[in-house]
Amino acid sequence: MTPTRVRCPETLDQDTGRTLFEVVCGKKVVPADVEIDLSATLSMDSFGGAWILRIAEQLRNGGKTAVCVGAAGDVAAFMDMLEPGMQRPATDTRVDTVLFEEFGGEVINFTKEFREFLELCIDAIYWTLVAPLEGRGFRFGAFLDELHEMGVRAVRIVCLMNFLLGLIIAMLSAKQVEAFGLQIFVANLVVIAFARELAAVMTATVVSARTGAAIAAEIATMEVQEEIDALRGMGISVTQYLVAPKLLAMIVALPCLTVLGMFSGILGGTLWGIGVLGFQPSIWYEQTLGATSMGDIGQGLLKSLFFAVAIALIGCHNGFRVTGGSRGVGRMTTRAVVMDIFTLIVIDIIFASFFYYIMK
Amino acid sequence: MESKGDIIIEVENLVTHYGDTKVLDGVSFTVRRGEIFMIIGGSGCGKSTLLKHLCGLLRPTSGRIVFQGSDIASMDEDQLAVMQQSIGIAFQSSGLFNSMTVGDNIAMPMVEFGSVDPSLVKPLVRMKLSLVGLAQAEHLMPSDLSGGMRKRAGLARAIAVDPPLVYFDEPSAGLDPIMAAGLDELVMKLNKLLGTTFIIVTHELDSIKLAADRILMLDRGKVIFLGTLDDVEKSTNERVRQFFERRADEHIEQRQLA
Ligand SMILES: Nc1ncnc2c1ncn2[C@@H]1O[C@H](COP(=O)(O)OP(=O)(O)O)[C@@H](O)[C@H]1O
Ligand SMILES: [Mg+2]
Repeated sequence: MTPTRVRCPETLDQDTGRTLFEVVCGKKVVPADVEIDLSATLSMDSFGGAWILRIAEQLRNGGKTAVCVGAAGDVAAFMDMLEPGMQRPATDTRVDTVLFEEFGGEVINFTKEFREFLELCIDAIYWTLVAPLEGRGFRFGAFLDELHEMGVRAVRIVCLMNFLLGLIIAMLSAKQVEAFGLQIFVANLVVIAFARELAAVMTATVVSARTGAAIAAEIATMEVQEEIDALRGMGISVTQYLVAPKLLAMIVALPCLTVLGMFSGILGGTLWGIGVLGFQPSIWYEQTLGATSMGDIGQGLLKSLFFAVAIALIGCHNGFRVTGGSRGVGRMTTRAVVMDIFTLIVIDIIFASFFYYIMK
Repeated sequence: MESKGDIIIEVENLVTHYGDTKVLDGVSFTVRRGEIFMIIGGSGCGKSTLLKHLCGLLRPTSGRIVFQGSDIASMDEDQLAVMQQSIGIAFQSSGLFNSMTVGDNIAMPMVEFGSVDPSLVKPLVRMKLSLVGLAQAEHLMPSDLSGGMRKRAGLARAIAVDPPLVYFDEPSAGLDPIMAAGLDELVMKLNKLLGTTFIIVTHELDSIKLAADRILMLDRGKVIFLGTLDDVEKSTNERVRQFFERRADEHIEQRQLA
């Protein structure tokens, strides 16, 4: 069977190419093989070429072939250049997984990740607590920088948040006890709440959004840009170089911030008690002092110590696990913050049940 | 009608600073339509900075950059966007979007500019990828490519919509010699067949000798040479000679950054 011959116009660009495509492939059934005659064509561009590729593909799908003939000069050179693109395209090799495989994959991923996290924890504990005593070096300068960044620079926001929270707690609880005339006990409530729970949790939340995210983003970016590989390639322990200073700085900074948080929260409550509820400053002061116990404060601080370890290690862990460039950095940063906040609540629940029911 | 030989870009007395550091100091030159114009010079002399000015990403301290008759510095956002759509740029570090596949990266200007028939996007992507030898990488993510492959994908994106003017920043750095030679060939073909104007920053003596119509050499932010390859032979400037003869400095020079 002789192929059908179609003549191309003088210039083959996006518009004339479309016309050509409609002529050749417009009918439902393509009758025969097609010869595309380029002898009259004087110039063409990539769009024209792309239409020819589409024609070829369409015919191939119908079991027919398309060949280009008669090209001369620049057009021939252009067609030569496009030649490799005329062949079969790359196939998408990403495979769809079935549900069961997916579930298995999740389990394996989780175990792997858990293992990596444990390894990081052990490494971090070694490089933060043991190695400096063995004289293997601790980056004290980096530690101070981190301390400034995580601690000093977070003071304002931590105080503000706790202060506002103190105000809100006083407002809310004063309303509830108004009918009984027990408003003076709002002072007790604020003190106990902030010492045991609120300062530690609020401060840790602010810090994980602020510093936890920053740690993850920094390490993930370093990983993506092969800086981590560069460190490893120099034989430097990444945990020593990056993780240990951050971990120790966090362990020092977070309890300090929590103490400031307690003060600010109680200050917020006091402002409401004196300013709005109208108590004498001295009475409120006495009541507050009477409700304060070292045990409560100790509980809050102990908790913040655990929070600190969690925030630093979760940030680093997620940073190291990044894949896939800048998108991955964003994803890991988000993941770090979500994991942080979830972990905070879990730790808090464990502590609460321990202190309120087991220790009593 | 635009024709070959018109002035497409004219730079007049361009001065620019990063903070207090003067990076470009009175650079002037013109580029004509259909030229392959190469910019050379030691690393850190301001080549990438110059390219970023030419496409309106950075604004000069003083001086004019006239693109097809209008000054880039006085364009507003919309005019700038229109100008930038007629330029293909391949950055020094590829600039691929990490969140999409290589194929989608190359499809992106076609889809965004809206000037391409949607059914053409796929064959065009395939065509451009095979032009740079990456036909098999269409469905991979940029983070799964080697440095050289990423670079080539960046080039493919730059020429995605047949722009009349293309900027390449060190296109062959990180490519093997075979690929680099293939790239020179591609540049010359596109230049000849589509009349594309190329402004290329490069260090490759071979591709300069093969493809360059004219050469601009920068040194510490100043133009120290502008002319054809023949003019290079006649040049008496010591640094120009040194560059083309590939001689090392007596001491590796410590540039003052102040
Ligand atoms: N974003 C920036 N901020 C400050 N200085 C820069 C910046 N980018 C480049 N420089 C400086 O400007 C000079 C020229 O840089 P660049 O144009 O990238 O050089 P190259 O010729 O190697 O492409 C260098 O000295 C570099 O240190
Ligand atoms: Mg550069």
